[in-house]
Amino acid sequence: MEREKGWKMSEEAILSRKLRKALQLLLFQHHRLPGAKGWELRKALGKDYLNIIRILNKKLEDLGLEIKIIHESKEEEDLDKARFYIVFKSISEELSSWRIDTLAILAVSIAYIATKNSVKKQELQELLKEKFPDWKIDQELNMFIRRGYLEEKDENLYIGWRTKAEVDIKKLIESIAGYNIS
Amino acid sequence: MDSEALKEISFILELQNDWIKRKALGLFIDPFIIESKIKIMKKEELASIFLSSWHPIAYIEQITIKKLINALDYWKVLTPLSQRLKELESAKELKERIMKVSELINLRIISDRKFNEEINKMKEEIKNLKKPIDYWDFIMRDSYEETIFRAYLLSFIISEGFVKLIINPLEEKILIELCDNKEIKKESKSFPIVINYEIWKEKRDGK
Repeated sequence: MEREKGWKMSEEAILSRKLRKALQLLLFQHHRLPGAKGWELRKALGKDYLNIIRILNKKLEDLGLEIKIIHESKEEEDLDKARFYIVFKSISEELSSWRIDTLAILAVSIAYIATKNSVKKQELQELLKEKFPDWKIDQELNMFIRRGYLEEKDENLYIGWRTKAEVDIKKLIESIAGYNIS
Repeated sequence: MDSEALKEISFILELQNDWIKRKALGLFIDPFIIESKIKIMKKEELASIFLSSWHPIAYIEQITIKKLINALDYWKVLTPLSQRLKELESAKELKERIMKVSELINLRIISDRKFNEEINKMKEEIKNLKKPIDYWDFIMRDSYEETIFRAYLLSFIISEGFVKLIINPLEEKILIELCDNKEIKKESKSFPIVINYEIWKEKRDGK
């Protein structure tokens, strides 16, 4: 009985250690990008890393956080190549440190690019010009590109890795359009 | 049907094609609807909508004691900027340039056949490495000419993607490691390594 209790304790201790390790890997930025790749988690936590992630996700739920898995591409399903992030489930207006103009420009940029898949930078600038000055648009677009919300290739703008991880694009577009999309 | 009408029809077809493509690739919503909605919405409304669909990543950027100690060590050995600039200028004066294999063959430093043989020989040598090896340890030989030749061969092998460089700027170390097949040509970038007689002598004596 005592032996069984000891064995159970050590199993709990191992799980607790793995949960701490997983949390550290996901929270501390140890590469250029935050979060961790599936293979990194497997290497650090072992074969049952998905189970550890599931338990951690359950614990994070109480804190208003959740683990999000972003695949390299829509077609890619290999979890080893996917990136795991911890994201906030929701964010209140008071706590967002960004100015309202910045948030509005980002909302427009993401929604406009997402419906077209990509747009010419100039085309988006023209749309934004109706409500914001040139200098503000340039400043904000450059910031979004730097932070990974948008991606720039050959004068075209695309949705960046951070938007894929942080923004519920479908919800954003539906809210702007005012109806649900299939 | 006149050519003007035909032109109009083809234009309509082009627009329809474009629309279908967007519909297939995008989020099944007409971009014009979004564009017009965006135009009439207030920025406060847009910001509020964005906040309700935004789930920012939670992460911490924090320095560790170990990294701080490494950085201090790096600071201690870092030569003053003025000195480094002088070194760079003197390196520029030497007018280093890339020599083509044909030039080396013309100069009778190598022969075409021998060059390929030497490349293959070096590849075998790398294949037998058990772990990553210091770049300078690998190319270093007793004579300056031989060292340069090995550096030259290695640069070819690295360009082929057979070998990768592991660069540690903090320790100022460059290691070479055999690439596995998956890594070959995945992503590449140029990394210059300056070699001249002075550097070779320094490295040899320090060896």
